[in-house]
Amino acid sequence: MLEPSGASSASAVLPNPLREGLAEERVPEPAAMVIFGASGDLTHRKLLPALYSLTRDRLLPARFAIIGFARRAVSDDAFREEMRAACSEFARRRPIDPELWASFARNIYYQQGEYEDPASFLALKQRLTEIEKTQGLHGNRVFYLATPPSSFASVIRSLGQAELAPKPAPPGTPKPPGAAPPFARVIIEKPFGTDLETARALNRDVHEALDERQIYRIDHYLGKETVQNLLVFRFANGIFEPIWNNRFVDHVQITGAESIGVEARGGYFEQAGSMRDMVQNHLLQVLSLFAMEPPIAFDPDSVRDEKLKVLKALRFIPESDFERHVVRAQYVAGSNGGQSVRGYREEPNVSPTSTTETFVALKLFIDSWRWAGVPFYLRSGKRLPKRVTEIAVYFKEAPHLLFGRRGESIRPNVLAIRIQPDEGIALNFGSKLPGPAMEIAPVSMEFRYGSSFGVEPPEAYERLLLDCLLGDSTLFTRADEVEASWTWVSRIHRRWAEEAAQGKTALATYPAGSWGPPAADRLLTADGRAWRLP
Amino acid sequence: MAAAVRLHTEVERFVRGEAIAVEVGEIERALGELWQQASASGDGRTAAVSRAALWNAVFLARGRGGLATAKQLVDEIAPALPTRALTLCLDDERASLDATIESNVVSQPGGARMVYSEEITISGPANAERHFGALVRALQIAGVPTATFWLDPAAPESLLSRELLAVTDRLVFDTTACVRPEQLFDVERIATTAQPLPITDMGWLRLGALRALFAGMFDPPIGGAPLVHARKITIEHRAGCDTSALLLLAWIGVQVGWRPLRAAQTSDGGVRFDFARAGQPVSGHLVPSDGPCGRSGILCVTLETGDDRYVLRRTALDQTLLQIPGVPPKPVKLDSPSDAELAVAALGSRGRDPLFVRCLSYARHLWSLEPDTAGSRR
Repeated sequence: MLEPSGASSASAVLPNPLREGLAEERVPEPAAMVIFGASGDLTHRKLLPALYSLTRDRLLPARFAIIGFARRAVSDDAFREEMRAACSEFARRRPIDPELWASFARNIYYQQGEYEDPASFLALKQRLTEIEKTQGLHGNRVFYLATPPSSFASVIRSLGQAELAPKPAPPGTPKPPGAAPPFARVIIEKPFGTDLETARALNRDVHEALDERQIYRIDHYLGKETVQNLLVFRFANGIFEPIWNNRFVDHVQITGAESIGVEARGGYFEQAGSMRDMVQNHLLQVLSLFAMEPPIAFDPDSVRDEKLKVLKALRFIPESDFERHVVRAQYVAGSNGGQSVRGYREEPNVSPTSTTETFVALKLFIDSWRWAGVPFYLRSGKRLPKRVTEIAVYFKEAPHLLFGRRGESIRPNVLAIRIQPDEGIALNFGSKLPGPAMEIAPVSMEFRYGSSFGVEPPEAYERLLLDCLLGDSTLFTRADEVEASWTWVSRIHRRWAEEAAQGKTALATYPAGSWGPPAADRLLTADGRAWRLP
Repeated sequence: MAAAVRLHTEVERFVRGEAIAVEVGEIERALGELWQQASASGDGRTAAVSRAALWNAVFLARGRGGLATAKQLVDEIAPALPTRALTLCLDDERASLDATIESNVVSQPGGARMVYSEEITISGPANAERHFGALVRALQIAGVPTATFWLDPAAPESLLSRELLAVTDRLVFDTTACVRPEQLFDVERIATTAQPLPITDMGWLRLGALRALFAGMFDPPIGGAPLVHARKITIEHRAGCDTSALLLLAWIGVQVGWRPLRAAQTSDGGVRFDFARAGQPVSGHLVPSDGPCGRSGILCVTLETGDDRYVLRRTALDQTLLQIPGVPPKPVKLDSPSDAELAVAALGSRGRDPLFVRCLSYARHLWSLEPDTAGSRR
């Protein structure tokens, strides 16, 4: 550890008075971030571009080091060049600033190693210590697991064995005088397990080496500005919360649509399917934020306690009425963006007899005082007409319709919360058309982040990486939340497994470029409703 | 700024060419006509146009030169922040009040269009000052907060105190425009009068990145020990930027707890301040110098503890070098934000920094210290 002159030892470090009250107080302490899986797509497309953008926005400390770790043998300079190309292509602010890049790149290093090899982790520890010394770092460390999920447990075990991420003192331990001791945090990418049993096993492995306070299970949907705005929208405005319940809400639709197919991830997707890839994490997280009770405070555990209650209140899909609550389907050849595209079973690394779902639609209920009787319709799929994620809240009709003529009905008020792209909020309501007749037309009042503010919203990974460096885990998923969502989802998987064992797999198909199979529409039409076209 | 200004590339500007009478109904009608004009799309159809507004922003200018400067800032801010900008100009060459209007429209995904910002410029002779308060009250968008940009330290204070403060939700200064530190006295007096309004200063925000970098030098493992044990701090600044240097010194003094004792002019044309902290003497030096710097005018900050020196030095307009004992020197990029970026930041969360008012008061106190026997400071 660095022993700069003027500071006797790390334990006697005095707090920095200049940090106090600094308007840019959300700048974290100097730290090193180790990225496992540094040669992977996530590092290239998201992590390094996010770190570059944070640097550009002066949200990272001047003393900050990035160490890429992967199996491939690459020099520091070659890795820097790769990352420059990645940032040039994917960073939010482009083109990259050459001078800023020169200063940023000096802090990037690469360490070759095997995830299962203890010697590799000892070598990493030695390298990390050297870098910390030359960069003047305090020993604050963040480890990002951007590896395949099969390596999560071994990386965490190796971190523990090499004592790279020591557990913090138990809660309630008196703080030593001076500045806080260095932190070690671990960010774990999704998927966290493949079912309830594997998630529990992974949580056990993780807790053997780390304390829950060190763990940041990332779901990048929670880093999106609109998802966070959901909390502000609900709890900072007096007009919405009183109508956020079964007295006023008819039903809620949550759509997570992708226009792309499985691309190069056929092997992974064959094992996952839409239910694991999207519903268990992204959509249930969005649902829990949407439906939760007001937390007692905006701190990590208060918010996560309320989300957990929603996940625990999800009614299990009734066995006897399964088909009227769950639809799964697979895309076949069709058209997307003016191009003919192949079906899922023709994709690379996909079995020609695959029964993996690329689309899932669900009707579910939350058994709580607030949401009793309100159906939530969720759908997610690949090769849908466009990429869009949104929550649509359909409000009940006015109790007495003065203006409907000849059996006409007036469209319900819909509050659409767009999570991506074009993040924003729209409210549809009826308005009288100008003229002598009492004709009513729907109008939309829209608020969009992209055009309503003079600033671009940051990328989700920027927000989440910064939060982790600052020690704010509000937007990360806790162990019990993960297990609660798997508890609900695994029941559906078990039912599908039973159907498969009986040779009765019910898998619909839909042409690429459509909004899913007719069976998904019937989930709603059976209730006198219809999917919104986002 | 953390969230840099993004100019809408798709902004379309609609301008009412000729000046119109300053009559509120007439101005609103003319803006409505621009709104209608914007709603006519290229193919002859009309589309609904909505309006976004986060702020009413009031700017004051004097004379044609001042108006051109203010107008340039407003034009730069307009596409970046949804505002109704009201520029009030006092110009002795004018015989009467008149107004010009502009409307900036952006296209949204899906083809909808939105009035993004409106610019209303009202010019009149010096005696028109008495009308400005009523005009601002009438032309404010209801329900939207109003920021008053008081960027010219020599502007008539009565206009602010009598007419504008009552309709202002945030007051924005630019102390970089104070070429003499004595002008900080006026700024502090207005800030005191304006309390409890949130006060912000573009000069203070201009120093923000540099303050953050300097503060970062004392993060762990260094920690605050060098600040606590400091014996001397030297701030080199471009001549004429004494105010920025004084505010920077005030910030360190406030945060570290230095008690000002006395001041003296030095032979190099600078100023020396003596402080005490826990019975120990500390000296602060403002030294005029030359070299690359942004509008803040700060070239170098050096903190000495006796044995060690902690140096932040600009090596180019947007480059600094951090020198910390025991660590290799580290070059770090330091942006110089534009006035438009600072103005937008002033209206964001960084525009609510209570530390500024404390540092302003401390800086004013430093400058009013009685000179010691070494001579007069001024």
